[in-house]
Amino acid sequence: MTWTRRKFGRLAGASLAALAARPARSASRARVVIIGGGIAGATVAKYLATSSARPEVTLVEPKQQYTTCFFSNLYLAGVRSLESLTHSYQALAKSYGINVIHDAATTIDPVAKTVALAAGGKLAYDRAVVAPGIAFKYGAIEGYNEAATRIIPHAWNAGPQTELLRRQLESMEDGGVFVIAAPPNPFRCPPGPYERASLVAYYFKQFKPRSKILILDAKDTFFEQDLFEDGWNRHYPGMIEWLPAQFTGGIKSVDTKTRSIKTGGDTFSASVANIIPAQIAGELAQSAGLADQTGWCPIDPMTFESKLHPAIHVIGDAASAGDMPKSAFVANSQAKACAFAIASALAGSEETTPHLFNTCFTFLAPNDAVSDAINMKPSDGSIKITDIFFSQVGESDETRRQASRQADSWYNAFTHDVFG
Amino acid sequence: MPTSLLMALIIAAAFFVLNAGAAAAADNERAAELAAMCASCHRLDGRDRGLPSIIGMDKQTFIAAMAGFKSGTRSSSIMHAVALQLSDAEIATLAAYLGALTGEGKR
Repeated sequence: MTWTRRKFGRLAGASLAALAARPARSASRARVVIIGGGIAGATVAKYLATSSARPEVTLVEPKQQYTTCFFSNLYLAGVRSLESLTHSYQALAKSYGINVIHDAATTIDPVAKTVALAAGGKLAYDRAVVAPGIAFKYGAIEGYNEAATRIIPHAWNAGPQTELLRRQLESMEDGGVFVIAAPPNPFRCPPGPYERASLVAYYFKQFKPRSKILILDAKDTFFEQDLFEDGWNRHYPGMIEWLPAQFTGGIKSVDTKTRSIKTGGDTFSASVANIIPAQIAGELAQSAGLADQTGWCPIDPMTFESKLHPAIHVIGDAASAGDMPKSAFVANSQAKACAFAIASALAGSEETTPHLFNTCFTFLAPNDAVSDAINMKPSDGSIKITDIFFSQVGESDETRRQASRQADSWYNAFTHDVFG
Repeated sequence: MPTSLLMALIIAAAFFVLNAGAAAAADNERAAELAAMCASCHRLDGRDRGLPSIIGMDKQTFIAAMAGFKSGTRSSSIMHAVALQLSDAEIATLAAYLGALTGEGKR
């Protein structure tokens, strides 16, 4: 089966132009197997395929298409379609000659250097890159497990979960209460829960103006808090209430039948609820022994090679990368550093210190965006922030409008960089 | 000139050319790695919609723009951060590499 699928993938994946431009495939080419076709996995596949080391690149991803979590709050606001956030793997296969296998990786054998696939068969690798994203710590809130997500969505992986949340918001009566449970650190997309509150408020303001949004936080502070609170006061006065853990005593349990959320003190009833659970590295990282006791994967800050298993690199949200936030931009930045490190190792050339960078555009309203810019570099065995800049409270409307237009342009360029 | 010396010179010259070629390829690889950082926001095929295209620019214009972002005379916190990461040599490398892109490449 492996042979057939790989053979098929190669034939399907190789356009005539790519065949003409590339040296013939030979048994001597290094094999890199990438597990997970999110932002990190797709980026590393593309940059390895275009590196001068020219390894044979295989990308293992069950889904046929990828819907970005970033910008999915604009879909919840009703201003962007989910289709506009959905990308295929066709360009990676056709233009870059990447062998895309739509299957799930079940196990990794770090000694034999093989990856087993759900449908059967194994892929041998010289280097593996694991980019499984996040998994949820369902035990952390009593009553909230995988089955409960079909009633109360987390909507923290974009797709059906996001659609379910949008449908619930659409059918909510005016005057209802939307409760968001925000997770403890570290988690995917630090501004995400608060951007979600902002953009759902934008939707409510137009269609259900008597409704309220309540954020029950597992934390006592949050990312860009001053920018959010200023934005909420300006755009949605009185609509959004944020309760820190020190006020509620934290979220204890959820009852899906009554849509009620019990904290250390009060119990809150929701018309629509969104529980964003505590997170750890994706399942395969756990089962392959790539995660430590924190639940995340320790890596070498120069190469993103696992500190637990040699020849396996971990990138994206699953990696424990010092000060690097868990964002799509960081996943892309790490993936490039990892691709260049693998290419250097395969070619036996000199290792260079990676440039690591993050920027996030965050919407307070569709025409009011803020951004951050963070420089990071390997330091003392970890990755440290060297410079950090934020938008400021009190910037002009025009500055914020410009940032929202830049954000749209960024989305276009970024997804092109990732998916070709 | 003895044949052996001539042969040695030819071999040395060939070696030099090959080495220079390898060095140029390595430089180009390094430039492409730096440009990859830019590609997270700016399309290297020139098809940007809103953010400025950065390919095919005159070298000195590019270098002056980056100097402005680094010093803060041009305002953009994102580009200020990017410019702070790059040495003058890296900015010059990027100016040459991006300046030579025509938008017909795959990236």
